[in-house]
Amino acid sequence: MEQTIVELKHLSKIYQQGELELKAVNNVSLTIRKGDFAALCGPSGSGKTSILNLIGALDEPTSGEVYLDKIELASLTRSELAEVRKNRIGFVFQSYNLIPVMTAYENAAFVLELQGVDKQEQQQRVMQTLSDVGLAGLEHRRPDEMSGGQQQRVAIARAIVTKPAIVLADEPTANVDSHTAEALLDLMQSLNEQQGITFLFSTHDQHVIDRAKRIIQVHDGKIAGDEYRTDD
Amino acid sequence: MNLNVLAWRNLWRHKRRTLITASSIAFGVLLAVTFTGAGDYFYTRMIDAGANMGMGHITLAAPDFNRAPSSKKYLRQSEQLQQKLAQLSEVKSSMARIQGQAMFASAHKSIGGMFFAVDPEQESAENNLFIKAMVEGEMPTTASDKTIVLGVDLARKLKLTMGKKVVYTTTDKQGEIVSAIARVGGLFQTGSKEIDGAVALLPLHSVQTVLGYQQDEVSVIAVILHDQRHSHQLRDMLKRMNSFSHTEVLNWQQTQPDLAGMIAVDKSSNYISQLLIAMLVAAGVLNTMLMSVLERKREFGVMMALGLSPQRLFLLVMLESFWLAVLGLIIGTVVTIPWYLFMSQTGIDMSAAYGDGFSFGGVLLDTVFKIRLFKESIVAILIGLFTLALCAGAYPAWRAGREPPVQSLKTI
Repeated sequence: MEQTIVELKHLSKIYQQGELELKAVNNVSLTIRKGDFAALCGPSGSGKTSILNLIGALDEPTSGEVYLDKIELASLTRSELAEVRKNRIGFVFQSYNLIPVMTAYENAAFVLELQGVDKQEQQQRVMQTLSDVGLAGLEHRRPDEMSGGQQQRVAIARAIVTKPAIVLADEPTANVDSHTAEALLDLMQSLNEQQGITFLFSTHDQHVIDRAKRIIQVHDGKIAGDEYRTDD
Repeated sequence: MNLNVLAWRNLWRHKRRTLITASSIAFGVLLAVTFTGAGDYFYTRMIDAGANMGMGHITLAAPDFNRAPSSKKYLRQSEQLQQKLAQLSEVKSSMARIQGQAMFASAHKSIGGMFFAVDPEQESAENNLFIKAMVEGEMPTTASDKTIVLGVDLARKLKLTMGKKVVYTTTDKQGEIVSAIARVGGLFQTGSKEIDGAVALLPLHSVQTVLGYQQDEVSVIAVILHDQRHSHQLRDMLKRMNSFSHTEVLNWQQTQPDLAGMIAVDKSSNYISQLLIAMLVAAGVLNTMLMSVLERKREFGVMMALGLSPQRLFLLVMLESFWLAVLGLIIGTVVTIPWYLFMSQTGIDMSAAYGDGFSFGGVLLDTVFKIRLFKESIVAILIGLFTLALCAGAYPAWRAGREPPVQSLKTI
């Protein structure tokens, strides 16, 4: 039986907007398994990003439970949640979100630094990862010296360099052209296939949906469909 | 990259803003040095000048002499007391003196005033303001001379010139009225009308004879210290010593309460000025750090998403405040050193505004505005401004770490 990375049980998230209650996530139960290359799909406002934020320990559920690597997130303090994010989750954001005063190398090494990995191992892992994402030779460039695609590759390197249990990618191809999007998806797909890294996307980009091995449809905060694709 | 390096780089994202804020800290250093240095210089000058006007930084007197001076109250064995004082490292010098009220009479007029009987061998321009202010003639050469040194205004009122006779009348140790004659041997001019018109210096032994005192009997022993700031501790120490058990030991705050009061009031206003400067500096740092935090809210959200704990985010912003403070203090020190050297060595001559001298709390001061900092003041300024800058950065740092990552990430 495949190992479960994420398990959501009756998860709900309600936002209060004045007197209105907005149910962004409505009683969602879901399991993400190791090696998944899954996409949360749905229109804007359907609750994809909210689910991703709850899995990523960035937000607290109104009710229900989130288990990440069998750890129940609701019972953790803010510092413990930071530990979980640091050690078990990799994030890729829509707008890259690299730290502008750091080079590509330093951005990728940032989480390793937080983990307290020694300099020699940091160097070895960062250089290897940058090479894996096709950025060998660009490690000393700062974000403003790189294209959007290159920046997103750095963001992917930053997300995978720690060997996380799961990489959560929120609209990772939204800010790049279709050619770059294909290249980024090639990269993530090969990381998934060759290194077994689990990816969960939130997207409405058809490029991503076409590549995903598992499609989870989200509508009005609920799971409207969940299917694995077979290669044919 | 460790947080220190990251903080330092973050500081230089907005070079102009960082430099302006660091300059405001530097300006704070300059102003604090000027205000504190002026205080340290002038208060010391005032206290030293006050001490040199007769009573010293510490005064040893017969019990109750300070409250109600009288020739009936006098110290015995003054030489032994002075020998004991000479053994103390804090003591620069001590002078046995007789202080009293007298009527000075010339052939033309009689005027009431006060006298200090001094031993010329113990006195110098360094520890006696009147000797420093001599404008004509000289001090008596021995304690047994029959000469008198008058303030210029007292001499003028009595219509006396050098070599003329003056009769002084006072009360002796029994309370009887006694008189003696002296010749004018010198004149002093301190610049204070009250002093120059009422004070005379007499030789110690001559006055002891007139008052019926033994050679080791005086009314006060004025003690000059190397550093006036030790007067309080030394007074308390002397009080505990057996040798001084029959002596009233007073520090300058007790013998010159007017001066002490004026210094206290002046210090308070100085502190208020410095507090205002400190608040301006703090407002500058707070503004910069708050802006810096608010405009990087999303970035902080990303960092927290990557695993930076709220505590480490707080530390990061505090490190930025730390480096900003260090930068400001370095610039401040570089800018302030030449200013301090100029002001401590040359100063600014204010005689155009004040004339040759001015009086403060009954003490005469020269008109060159100088500054001088005690070591502890330098430390206090640097630590004070540094702490202030860190405290001003604490709120933005706390705010940065308080926001949940999901909220920060929503910031555009």
